[in-house]
Amino acid sequence: MSDKADHSRRNFLYVAAGGLGAVAAGATAVPFIGSMLPAADTLAAAKTEFDTSTVVEGQLVVIQWQGKPVFVVNRTADMLERVKGHDDKLKDPNSEAGEEVQAEWMDSEDKRTFRAIKPEILIVVASCTHLGCIPLFKPTAGQKDWGDSVPSDWAGGWHCPCHGSYYDLSARVVKGSPAPQNLHVMSYEYKTDSIVVIG
Amino acid sequence: MKTGLFKWVDDRTGLEGIIKSQLTEYPVPKNLNYMWNFGSLALLVLVLQILTGIFLVMYYKPDASLTYGGYTVAFDSVERIMRDINFGWLIRYMHAVGASAFFVVVYMHIGRGLYYGSYKGPRELLWIIGVVILLIMQGAAFFGYLLPWGQMSFWGATVITNLFGAVPVLGEYLQQVLRGGFAVGDPTLNRFFSLHYLFPLLLAAIVGGHIHALHVVHSNNPDGVDIDHEKDTIPFHPYYTVKDAFGVGVFLLGYCYFVFFQPEAWGYFIEVDNFVPANNLQTPAHIAPVWYLTPWYTILRTFENKLLGVAMMGASLAILFVLPFLDRSKVRSARYRPVFRQMVILFFISVVVLGYCGHSAPTATLAIVGTIATCVYFGFFLLLPFVHKFEKTKPLPGGE
Repeated sequence: MSDKADHSRRNFLYVAAGGLGAVAAGATAVPFIGSMLPAADTLAAAKTEFDTSTVVEGQLVVIQWQGKPVFVVNRTADMLERVKGHDDKLKDPNSEAGEEVQAEWMDSEDKRTFRAIKPEILIVVASCTHLGCIPLFKPTAGQKDWGDSVPSDWAGGWHCPCHGSYYDLSARVVKGSPAPQNLHVMSYEYKTDSIVVIG
Repeated sequence: MKTGLFKWVDDRTGLEGIIKSQLTEYPVPKNLNYMWNFGSLALLVLVLQILTGIFLVMYYKPDASLTYGGYTVAFDSVERIMRDINFGWLIRYMHAVGASAFFVVVYMHIGRGLYYGSYKGPRELLWIIGVVILLIMQGAAFFGYLLPWGQMSFWGATVITNLFGAVPVLGEYLQQVLRGGFAVGDPTLNRFFSLHYLFPLLLAAIVGGHIHALHVVHSNNPDGVDIDHEKDTIPFHPYYTVKDAFGVGVFLLGYCYFVFFQPEAWGYFIEVDNFVPANNLQTPAHIAPVWYLTPWYTILRTFENKLLGVAMMGASLAILFVLPFLDRSKVRSARYRPVFRQMVILFFISVVVLGYCGHSAPTATLAIVGTIATCVYFGFFLLLPFVHKFEKTKPLPGGE
C-alpha cells in the first residue's frame, strides 16, 4: 500500500459524485416546483362563455374570466362616435405598445379603433394597467355627471379611482395617466351571433 | 483551504471547530455493521416527510363540510391533489409511503439498539430521547391518517379517541377535548391538522437533541465494548458519510419501487377503505390501524376490561423509558449474552406476531395467539432485571 493518494483520481470522484448529486437534487426539485404551477382543473377553467345579448345598449357588465374581472360594454352609436377624433390625446391609439393590448383578431383599422370584433360589444380586462384597480365607468361626455373628477374635455370612458388614470370609450389610456398601457384585450370568438367564448 | 468568507464566519461562530468535532474528526467505531445505517435513513425520511408535507398543505383543505358531489371538502381536496395538481400524485404518494418507510427505518433502528445493548449506560438518556421521538412519530402518524377523511381515517380516529373515554372520571372530558364535539367531526379534523403540522416541528427539535446526545456519548458498536478513541475509531467524514450514502441509495431503490409501483402496498400503507369517503353512519366491516400501530392495537384488544387494555397499551410503550434501568448486565451486545440473545429474538418475534394479529380481523384463535405474544412482550421486560444473575456471558474481545 502506498501512502500517496492519487489526488487527480480523488478530485475526479469528488466532482463526479457532487455533479450527479446536484443533478439528482435538481430533478427532485422539478415535481415540487411543478406542483406550484396552475393545476389541471385551474387550466381547464381558462375559457369563459358569455351571452352578449344579456347586455342592453349602453350597459356595462362585469364578468369573470380566469379569476380576473372583465368589462363587457354594449356601446350605443353615440358612444362609438365619441371613440373617434381624439387620437392625439392617447398614448397608444392603435394598440401597438405590447402583446397584451392587441389580439389576433385586430386585423383592420376599425377593429383597432373600436378594439372589438363587433364594434358595439367591447370586451376588455377590467384591471387598470397601472396597479390593477377596477376603473369606474363614466360614459357620458363632459363634467355634467362627474364634476371635476374628469377633465373638462371628457369624451366619456373610464376613470381609475386609485391613481387617476383615464381611458376612453375604447379603453385606450389617455396621455397624462400613470397607467402605461390601454386596458388589455384577449382572444375571443363568437360561437353564435351573441354567445362569445373568451380565452 | 480557508477562504476569507469562511474565516469571517468562523471567527464569529466557531464553524471550523464544529465541522471538525462533528464531522471530519468525529470518532466513530470502525466495526459498525449495516444495522448502523438506519439512523441517517430516519433523518432522511424525516426531511422528506416535512418537505412533501409542506407542498401538500398548499392544496389540502381541512374541512369536513359536504360538497355538492356528496363528498367532503377535505376528501375532494386530496383527490384534487391526486388528479389535477401537477405531480400531486407523486408528492402525496411520497408522503404516504414515507410514513410507512419512516416506521420501517425507525423500528430497525430501535431493534438494533435493543440487540446490541445501545440503550445501556452511558447511553440511557440517548435511548429515552429516542422513545420520546417514537411516541411523537406515532402521534403524528395517527393525526395525519385522519386528514384524507376517508372511512378508515374517520373510524380509526373514532376508535382511538374512544380509548380516552376509558380513563376514570376524566374520560368523557378528555374525549371532548380531543374531538371538540361529541363525535369525531369538523373540529376534530381541524385540530388534528394543526397538530399534524406541530408534531414534525417538535420531532425536528428533539431529533437535534438525540444527535447531540449521541455525539456526547458516541456510537455503540456490534461488540458492545467500550472503545479506545485512538485505536478503534475512524472519522465520520468521509468514511461513514460514504457508507450512509450507500445505504441511502439502497433505501431509495425500495422507497421508489413503492412510490411508483405499489403506493398502497396491497392495503398496508393506505387501507382500501380509505378510498371511500368518511360516513359517520356506517362502520367498515373490519377496522384496523395501519401496520405500524397494529402491535399495540393487539395488546389493547387482548384485555377484556377496556380500562385495563388501554392501561396495558400505554404501559407497553412507557416501559421502553425504563428499559435502560431494568437491564443490570454489564455486557451490552447480545453477541456475548446467550440468554439475552434468545430473549430479544423472542421479543422481536412477539412484536411481529402482535402486528399480524392487530392487522387481522379478530378471531378466537388469534385472540389466544395475541395473548401469548402479549405475555412474551411483557415477559421480556419482567425477566430482564434477573437475567444477569444466571447468565454466563461470553468473553469480550480485547480482554475487557
